Amino acid sequence: MRVATTARRRDIQVAYLLLAPTLLLLLTALAYPVGWEVWTSLTDLSPLKDGPTAFVGLENYRRFLADPEFWRAATVTVVYAAVTSVAKLSLGVGFALLLARPFRGRALVFLAIFLPWAYPASVSVIGWYWTLNPPIPTAYSVFMGNVKYAVDGVLGGGAWAFLSVTLFNIWRGSSFIGVFLLAGINAVPPELFECAVLESKSAWRRFWLVTVPLLKPFLALAVFLSLTTAFADLANVWMLTAGRIVYPVVGTHAYWLAIRGGQFGPASALSLTLVPFLLAVLLILFRMFDPPEKERA
Amino acid sequence: MAQVMMKDLNKKYDEVHAVKDVNLHIRDKEFMVLVGPSGCGKSTTLRMVAGLEEITSGEISIGDRVVNDLPPKDRDIAMVFQNYALYPHMTVYDNMAFGLKMRKFPKVEIQKRVQDAAEILGIQELLKRKPRQLSGGQRQRVAVGRAIVRHPQVFLFDEPLSNLDAKLRVQMRVELKRLHERLETTAIYVTHDQVEAMTLGDRVVVMKDGWIQQVGEPLELYGRPANKFVAGFIGSPSMNFVDVKVADANGALWAETQGIRVKVPPIHTSRLVPYKGQQVTMGVRPEDLHPASGSDPREYCFDAVVDVVEPLGSEILLDLRVGNNTIVARVEPTNRVKVHESTRLALTPDRAHFFDLKTELAI
Amino acid sequence: MVIERKWKTWVYFYIPLTVFVVGTLFPFYWMLITAIRPDAELYRSWRAATNTPFWTLQPTLEHFRDLMAKTTFPHWLWNTLFIAVVSTAISLFCGLLAGYALARLRFPMAGTLGTSIFVTYLVPPTLLFIPLANIIRTFQVGDTPWALILTYPTFLIPFCTWLLMGYFKTIPKELEECARIDGATRFGAMVRIIFPIAVPGILSAGIFAFTLSWNEFIYALVFLSSPEKKTVPVGVVSELIRGDIYFWGQLMAGALLGSIPVALVYSFFVEYYVTGLTGSVKG
Repeated sequence: MRVATTARRRDIQVAYLLLAPTLLLLLTALAYPVGWEVWTSLTDLSPLKDGPTAFVGLENYRRFLADPEFWRAATVTVVYAAVTSVAKLSLGVGFALLLARPFRGRALVFLAIFLPWAYPASVSVIGWYWTLNPPIPTAYSVFMGNVKYAVDGVLGGGAWAFLSVTLFNIWRGSSFIGVFLLAGINAVPPELFECAVLESKSAWRRFWLVTVPLLKPFLALAVFLSLTTAFADLANVWMLTAGRIVYPVVGTHAYWLAIRGGQFGPASALSLTLVPFLLAVLLILFRMFDPPEKERA
Repeated sequence: MAQVMMKDLNKKYDEVHAVKDVNLHIRDKEFMVLVGPSGCGKSTTLRMVAGLEEITSGEISIGDRVVNDLPPKDRDIAMVFQNYALYPHMTVYDNMAFGLKMRKFPKVEIQKRVQDAAEILGIQELLKRKPRQLSGGQRQRVAVGRAIVRHPQVFLFDEPLSNLDAKLRVQMRVELKRLHERLETTAIYVTHDQVEAMTLGDRVVVMKDGWIQQVGEPLELYGRPANKFVAGFIGSPSMNFVDVKVADANGALWAETQGIRVKVPPIHTSRLVPYKGQQVTMGVRPEDLHPASGSDPREYCFDAVVDVVEPLGSEILLDLRVGNNTIVARVEPTNRVKVHESTRLALTPDRAHFFDLKTELAI
Repeated sequence: MVIERKWKTWVYFYIPLTVFVVGTLFPFYWMLITAIRPDAELYRSWRAATNTPFWTLQPTLEHFRDLMAKTTFPHWLWNTLFIAVVSTAISLFCGLLAGYALARLRFPMAGTLGTSIFVTYLVPPTLLFIPLANIIRTFQVGDTPWALILTYPTFLIPFCTWLLMGYFKTIPKELEECARIDGATRFGAMVRIIFPIAVPGILSAGIFAFTLSWNEFIYALVFLSSPEKKTVPVGVVSELIRGDIYFWGQLMAGALLGSIPVALVYSFFVEYYVTGLTGSVKG
């Protein structure tokens, strides 16, 4: 028995040795911050404030739940995440199905469709900003200005800017989901699709009865990535409205409180309100696709 | 060159007890085959010899050394895997030279050994190619070549022919046998194919559910199987089993069941006496049944109805019904029986086997 | 594929395809056209008779020249490259080791650790930038490249680990076992056999990590403040937009130039990337 365990122990030691750098980095740069954030959300910590930091319990959370501004940001976030996810998914499926069949120039089309995601978001977002919200002195600003006023007139101030953010998110996200699902389609044995062609004449039925179930794990992961990025979206909103946030989402709200307002406590609490959402989505979707460690079996 | 000893070898995974109390002595220069259905523990045993699986309890020694504690690289063995495990990023030459390079052999020596091995296997032309440019048979040869350049004390083969098509498998089987005769190195060979086991092995170990069922020379396993499992596993088509009652009449023992009443052959009589009046399993190989002729004693004959006729060219297999039992007989290609006809069969008396109904051990 | 009538192919295939491609590429075209449009044309009235919104008759490189000469753009390029390369290298190193351990070694908690590393990838930066800002201040690396080099691996390592783990699992175990019998230690087998075979997976993980670091915005926005220390994504947005004055030509020129490295990397390796993503490349 003694002999049997030495080889095993050697394996375990090697494993932890190999994992050490990763765990060390993730612990300092992830676990610690998350812990810090949970604690901070229970205090009134602020770098701008003199005097000791007080423990305030759930006060920060209570204040949010009573604040209509928070509920507005939360609603906007949820709507934003839902709308963009549905759009991204449908477009992404479209991309994937179109690219799944061979045709001349497929590689080029592939690159074109992939480009929005591969391109730095902050940079391409400027292109969009320039296109949709041109500042006054440019050639076609009158035209876009009219569009903007028309939209804002119907939906309220800042609607056009927010619509821009949504369009941008869809444009960029559907690119990624398309490529991701294409990889999924390629991973499914083609016989399964061919068999389906023999079974049913209707392409629509085939799509729902064969393609969708086969791609389910990929779809689930795509939805998850799409929802999480949308929930946590700060960069896009920030950039497309040039920092002048008209329709706040939870992420930008927190940024304002923390960086501009120096109110770390409330900002942390606000960020953490995302967690239950994310966990719920994660749980639902994990049921649909196998978590990574199950593949080992 | 070395012998391999396994003493009370056990392997337990979390829930599965894969290898149970295996004791085995593989002699120097012997070609030992481990055979059994999948999940019988044969591969696990081999992998423990290789050092790829931990030993739960027991002891393995190669030569005079206990190797339990040694990592695979220090055991002086070479292994050929079912999927060949050729390193895809290296040429055939580098694949074969890898083990020697790791052991810091001088370059000239490496070159000489690889050339020699390539010549033996007829793969000199392939040395510069990458594995993906080779056919299945060629990959197989490279895998074997990679093992023999090292001149190890023991060769381990883990189902090396399973990925080849039937024709190539027969050809490689012969080549492996020739190779072993030439190299005279101890070899342990795992397979699920009893034909491979019989043709290649100096001795054969039959395993089932982690237990060793029988160890012996191929003809010994065929002629005197220790239990019903070995009897059914060795030989193709497999042995026919019929549950019979041992009856005493006219001063002799008879094996009786619906449709069959044959005399217990004299060589078995004394051992079957204690079973008088009880049920036993009688086993007769298809090749030990033949159409009855006038010269066959009546007490070894019975009638059967032909269900299916399978002409194989060199022989015909007849699937027959006798009472509630289905049996197979292997007859001459000149035989002209037809489906649904009744035919009279005789068995070769001293080739019948009897097994205890409960323990399934040979009587 | 099934044979279809011609008009059907057009309706269901070519037309949507064209719409998609035009839709995805139009913003890039718009950026390009803006970048090479002379200022005079850029700020001309919409109703001017000579207005040509979709093309330009006098392409100019003046904006590119201005960008390189009058702004700190070259610094940004260099900063971004440096940060992206170093953090990618760190993440690949950690990801390789961790991915191998999770894919190949049996040890207690392997499953739990694998899942937790995967889940950390999903923790959005919005949750982390506040406490990380605090840590950065404590270590006094704020406004230096190290602030980003230390934080980027938080999202790069989990993905690299996850992707490489999947890739390692597709490599037959026997290769490594054979190497160990051939005389290699476990570590030797890993370095000499597994890593060379995993090159496509490593490449795709590297590309991914490089892109993410190159494109990262939030951490760079929060942790860097001096103009010459910024990265391209942040610099372009924050330095070329001053108040309400937009240097549109330069902005677009910067946007194009700043993403050329990433675009190049992708056009060369996109196949690897996609296959690496599903971890399904076979030897």
